This record gives sequence, structure tokens and C-alpha cells, in this order.
Amino acid sequence: MNQTNISYKQPLLETPFHAKTQERCYAHDWHRWAGYKVAKQYTSAELEYTAIRNTAGVIDITPMHKYSVQGKDAKKFINKLITRNVDNIQPKQVVYALWCNEDGFVVDDGTIFCFDENNFRICSGERNLNWFEDTAIGFDVIIEDISHSIAALAFQGPLSCKILHMLNAKNIENLKPFCFDQFTINNQEITISRTGFSGDLGYELWCEPLQAHNVWDALFSFNKDYKILAAGLDALEMVRVEAGFIVVNADLIAAEHALRPNRMRTPYELGLAWMVNLDKEFFSGKEALIKQKNKGVEKKLIGLDVQGDKPAVGSVLYNESKNKDIGIVTAAMWSPSLKSNIAMGYVDKEFMKLGSKVLAEIYHPEELEYRKIWAQCKVVKKQFITLERRNAVPALI
Amino acid sequence: MSKYDAIIIGGGHNGLVCASYLSKKGYKILILEKNENLGGLVHCASSLKGFSSKILNDLKINLPTLNYKSYVVALHSDQQHTILQENDKNNINFIQSSANEENQKKFSSLINKYKLFASTLSNFMYEVPPRLKSGNSEDTWKLIKMGWKIRKLGKTNMREFLRIVGLNIADELEDNLSDDTLMGLLAHESILGSNLGPRSPGSILSLLYRQAMQNGLFTSEQYDFHQLIPSLEKNCINQGVDIKINASVKKIITTNNQATGVILKNEEKIDAGIIISNADPKTTYFDLLGTEPLDTDFIRRAKNIRTKGNIAKLSITLKDKPIIKNIEKEKMNAKFIYAPGINYIERSFNASKYDKYNENLCFEFHHCANVIAANIYYVPYVKNTTHAKESLIQQSINSLKPFISNLEIENAELLTPNEIEEKYHVTGGHWHHGDLEIDQMLMMRPFYGSAQYATPIKNLYLCSAGTHPGGGITGINGRNAAKKIMGDKK
Repeated sequence: MNQTNISYKQPLLETPFHAKTQERCYAHDWHRWAGYKVAKQYTSAELEYTAIRNTAGVIDITPMHKYSVQGKDAKKFINKLITRNVDNIQPKQVVYALWCNEDGFVVDDGTIFCFDENNFRICSGERNLNWFEDTAIGFDVIIEDISHSIAALAFQGPLSCKILHMLNAKNIENLKPFCFDQFTINNQEITISRTGFSGDLGYELWCEPLQAHNVWDALFSFNKDYKILAAGLDALEMVRVEAGFIVVNADLIAAEHALRPNRMRTPYELGLAWMVNLDKEFFSGKEALIKQKNKGVEKKLIGLDVQGDKPAVGSVLYNESKNKDIGIVTAAMWSPSLKSNIAMGYVDKEFMKLGSKVLAEIYHPEELEYRKIWAQCKVVKKQFITLERRNAVPALI
Repeated sequence: MSKYDAIIIGGGHNGLVCASYLSKKGYKILILEKNENLGGLVHCASSLKGFSSKILNDLKINLPTLNYKSYVVALHSDQQHTILQENDKNNINFIQSSANEENQKKFSSLINKYKLFASTLSNFMYEVPPRLKSGNSEDTWKLIKMGWKIRKLGKTNMREFLRIVGLNIADELEDNLSDDTLMGLLAHESILGSNLGPRSPGSILSLLYRQAMQNGLFTSEQYDFHQLIPSLEKNCINQGVDIKINASVKKIITTNNQATGVILKNEEKIDAGIIISNADPKTTYFDLLGTEPLDTDFIRRAKNIRTKGNIAKLSITLKDKPIIKNIEKEKMNAKFIYAPGINYIERSFNASKYDKYNENLCFEFHHCANVIAANIYYVPYVKNTTHAKESLIQQSINSLKPFISNLEIENAELLTPNEIEEKYHVTGGHWHHGDLEIDQMLMMRPFYGSAQYATPIKNLYLCSAGTHPGGGITGINGRNAAKKIMGDKK
């Protein structure tokens, strides 16, 4: 399947896994993502979440945008594009990266796969072809949107390595985090990277659309004993909040999309200073980011440990005397693993320090009425959950 | 230490002016010219209207002035031509016209209205335009001053100015005139050199701007145009400027976001503290500098400057002096224009809009002895292909034929916009290095982030027609750039 004819005149596209996902999608609850429909929940988000944290979950991430970057200047181009330095990147490595506009505001984030010096692949949540092509003017690279020609699954959870191992993916347990390689599964040669959006041990499987059913079936072939589940985007949202990962156009507005200039965010405001390498000779947005670094940020995305058990969805944050709003919550949930009420949000600079106390104004719906709750919150690190197995080598089998 | 304080890339008039101002203040300058001759696009011009007298005074250059007022002839296919002349007080005299008196009067009053507005605009010409969003009090003050200059027109005039400033010339003319020839004449003056048609928004502003730069619309030649470049060159040499011809720059060298020198095509490396590019902005950024040290948004804006040229240069050598039908011999010292009406020009503009063959060529020409120098439009710049040159020459000659009774041609040469691009290294073969429209003017010229003669690269400056105040042969760009550089180095 190599459909590229996304059109408002026809229904959303189906991914190469659709025949398989729809069998399992009891709820028939589909989500629109980049012209495709993918399951939002199969049965219940909590159950799928539980699978990801305890056995493994299989998530169809085919609609993700994928771009191939090829040519003599491919590495140079990547270095100009992103805020990190890929001078020392080796083939079969992956980096998580941000790219910024001239004012240092984040355009998007994504993962960059290095096949060799002259051949990279960028996976991102938003469409970026135009941005990449304009960045590439004057560089000897060819950028191609290959989104539709690669089928992708996220396979996340403590049993993910074990199952791949049982499928005879040779030496999979020694694949390091942020690395990828070719593996043969069920007679299909596919690419597996040790990456993911769950903060857990997990992999992403990249294959040709024609291999999709084979790969899907393989993953479920030991289900008599292991009970892995197909997981929807709602479950993915839960694990990513626990892991403290950001989503562009949810936790920040992409610079290319924002209508109001003060809604854009720099890496420093996102708490991703470690991803900005100001020693690099040049990258898009460098000047502005140097300025911001010297000046300091006015607000910052932080984690919140919220009192009580009612998720602070969309809450406005206040100072302790409740007379000044000092921020807003971008994502919030009850974390089943941590047994606590967590949230991510922006706070003004006076409240950025870990341990600061703020109040969240929660409107909790209770049968057609809202209960207003003033919940005490403590500013904490965004990474609510850190699991040893996530980065362990050899991985758990 | 490098031998030179500054290198100027391109020996056009702006480069020479910039060098003159800087060397006067003791800067040691090297001018690098790619071609054999200095002057660049000046050689494409046919007259010298509006070279800044302020600059000539500053530099103490004495250019011989021409003390006659030439005629303007709007040709008509029925050979009933309209002839007018601007008198000493810059008023229009109709020598001959088939338009009725009311039309003539309204034509004059339109010109006077534009003259008033143009004089407001001309206040901005010699200023480095303010930066937007800089938060600098000097910039804010400059903006206020600009606003005040417009406010000073008075309530009625300011309203009228703001009404027409974004308007197209065709609407304005149709509201006021009924004579096709007069309308065509003014529409011609509005769109010449920019990629606009009479019905394109902003064509009035383009007219006002030309008027502001040239100090009048139909003014005759003020200076002997052949003397300009030699005089500027002599002045430069006297002030110790080194000039290197046939020296094509391959690359501007930068280290740590700072320009430090240039590499020539022959791999020779020359260092200098300041690099000033008199090449157009696109050539400067994309070819000479390279996109590596530039932000994506910046590249996008640079890429999007409108630089599509659409005028071909025709030079015809006749056996004898040309004779124009129905024009007396003493009125042959004239600029002849064939743009017989708004609709005719607009249809001609279709060639540029749709990149197709032009069936309705418009042109202006003048003659010098038995050579006719003509500007033919719209002959749009084409990408990835070439013009059918022979047939274009033939078509141009056919268009001239009805008006010239002794058209015995000895030689005809045509420069298409593509050839102008190649010969003078001007992107798109555009006269002004970019359309003179409201979004490419003042602090937006050539584009946001690159205005005020500076670039994101430290010590790299622009002084070409691509900067404020724009194209035409005025020399003001070079002067303003020099002032800016001297200001920065203080």
C-alpha cells in the first residue's frame, strides 16, 4: 500500500495494519492522525496502559511523518537543522532532536536515524517537508517524504525484548537504547530501533507495508502465555506523560502553527536545555538561543505533583495566596503506576525551582456539576517515572 | 593585518559611490569588478535621471549638465502623437495632444498631486530606515518622524495619500481621465521596471517612488550620463581606492559568523575587515555567502524577494538618423513611448503573469545619432529555457515599423532579462534588484532581517539597488551604506 492521495473527498486512510487493528478494536474508537485513522482505544485505555507497563503494548504509529535525507551534505544539513550536534553520530544510531526557527522557537521535535554519513531519516509528529526543504537550500541533499512507504509499530513494555528474542531477533537484548539494526522476524527482514515514547523498555519496528500483517501476527504469536495487547493512542498518552515526554501542539504550539507570537516556546522554556549545543558553529536559531540563555527564561515547563486524586486537566495555576495566575497545565492524569496525581505545565520563573508550591484550580466534573478544587501542587521533575529496565543492556529477556 | 579596510564586491555606481564616501574618511578600499568595465547596469540605462546631486556635491564631482528639456512623445498608431514637455517649474506643457482640455488639465493636476506625495517620500531617501521591533529609541524616533512627515501633508492630503498608496494606477486613472493615450503614458511610467501591470495593487506607489527618486517624472536628462562612471572612477582612484577588474568573487569567507575576506574565482584570497556587497541580495546570500550560516526563516525571505525582470534592451543601428512620422525634426530629442492604453498594457502584462508569448509589446526608446535604444516589455525572465531571440527581435522591429519611416537596419542587438542576468550578474535581470513595492521598501528592503544595509553576518554589508531606497541610478544606496558602516565602526 503506497497511498499518498490524502483528500478531503475520501475517508481517512487505513494503515497497513488496519485489517489487524480493526479486528481488535472493540470500541471502534478511531483517532484522526495525519490523514490516517488509528485506534484511540481498543477496549479501554487503562487496560492497554497496564499492558504497556506490565507485559507489552503494540501501537500502530504508521502515520508518523518520515523523511529521508540523502546526499553529500546530509550530515551538515542535520547539524544546521537541529539544536544538537551530530558530528559524532555513528551509523545505526538514533538521536532525539529539536529544531527551531530564527527566534529560537521550537518548530518540531523528532528522532533522527543515521544510516550512514550521507543517509538519514527524520521521524516527526508534524509535517516538516517545507521547513526541511527551505533549510536545505544550498546543501547537496535530497529530502523526500517517505511517510507512506514505511509501516511502523511501537512495541513497548517489559516483555517486548523477551518476545522479540523468542521470535529469534538475533542479539536483540544487546541493542543499546537509541540504536537500531536489521533483524529477521517471522522470515521478514525489518528494522528495529530501541526507541519509544513510553519511558519503558521498548522498541519501534519499521517495515514495508507488505510485511505489516506478518510482523503484527508474529508479535502476538506467544499470547497464550504472555497476554500482550494492542494499545491505542490514549494509553500512549498516559505513558508519555509519566515519562515526561513532550508532544508538539499539545505541550507547546509549533512555531510554524502558532498565530500568537507569545505562544511559541524555546527549548529552554521546555526544560530541554541539554538538547541545545551552543558550541556548534551554526544552527537555525542559535543567535536567539544564546540571547535567551543569557537572559534566562520567563516561564518553564515543569512537572507537578498534585494533591488529591482528581486530574488537573487544563487547570490554571495560581500562587499560594490565589491572587495571581502563574501558569497553566498542559497534560494531567492519575498515574496508576505511581499511585499519584501528576501533571505537566508552565509556571512563571519564580516558581520554576523544584519544590516550589503552587495551587491548581481544578474543575472536576461530577454528574453535570463541577466541583471546584484548589489542589496544592509541588513542582517536580517532568520525568515522573524512571525505570531501570528502560536503558538496561542487555535488556530484560 | 590585511591591506584593506573594506572590499566592495561589484563596481557598479553604488559600489563606486560607497567607496568614494568611505575612502574620503580614510578607509582603504578595494573594489572587485567581475566584468571588464565598471558601471554594471548603468550600461543598460539609456539616460541619467535623478542621480543624486547631493552626492555629487558631497564628493565634489562636477558632472556636465545638459541644459535642454527633452520632449516626451506618447506614440499612437494613427500617428496622432501626444507630445509634452516639463517646463522649468516642473509643470506639464502640452505641445500637441488629441486629448481634450479637461483631460489635459486633470492630467497635470494628477501629476502635481503625485509630486506632492513624492516629495514626502523623498524625505526618507537619505535615511537609513529604522529597524522594526528593535526596542531601540533611535529607531522608534525615526518611525515617529516618518509618520509625522506624512501627517504634515495635512488632513485631506494625508487621507488621499493613504487612500492611493496601495491602489492600482488603472483605477485612479479611470476615475480621472478618459483619454487612452494619457492614461497609457502614466501607467507606463508607473510599472516600468517592476513586475506590475496597471491593475496590480501598489502601482501608484511605484510611480510615486520613481518620482521621488528622480525628482520629477518627465524631467529631462540632468547630467551627461556617459560621464558618470568615469568621474566616479577618477574620484575613487584619486582617493586611493584600488580597483580590480575581471576579478570575479567566488565566495565570501566567514569565520564565527563574521566576514573576513573573499576568495576570487582564480582562488586568490583577499582579507579585509569589512566586506560590502554591491551584488543583488539573492546573489549575495545564495551564491557569494552560501546559505550555511543563515537561518531558515531568513533564507525563506531571501528566496521570496520578487526579482523577476521583464524588460529587454534593444539597440538598433540604422543607416541614417531615424525619422518619426508626424514628429518635427527639432522634437526628435525626446523619449518615445508606446503604451497606448491601460488595457493594452495589462494584456501585455499577461505575458509575465502566465509566462507566455507577448503579442502586445510596449516600449520606450530614444535615439542618439542613428542608434535607437529601446526598452521592450513585457519580456519576462524565463527559467530553464531561453527566449526565441530572433523572433523577439523581429517582433520588436515590427512594432517600431509603423512609427519610423526610414527603418533601414544595419544591426540589431537585444538583451533579454536572462542575458542581463548573465552579463551583469543581477538575479532575474531585474533593473532594481527587486520590485519596488510596499513590502519591499524602506525597512523591508530587501526584506525583514536584512534591511539597514547590514546582514546577519558581522562586517558584511549590502550597498546595491536591492537596499533602501531602491533601484534606479541614484547612488543613494551606496552613500547610505557608507554612512551606516561608518556609524557602526564608531
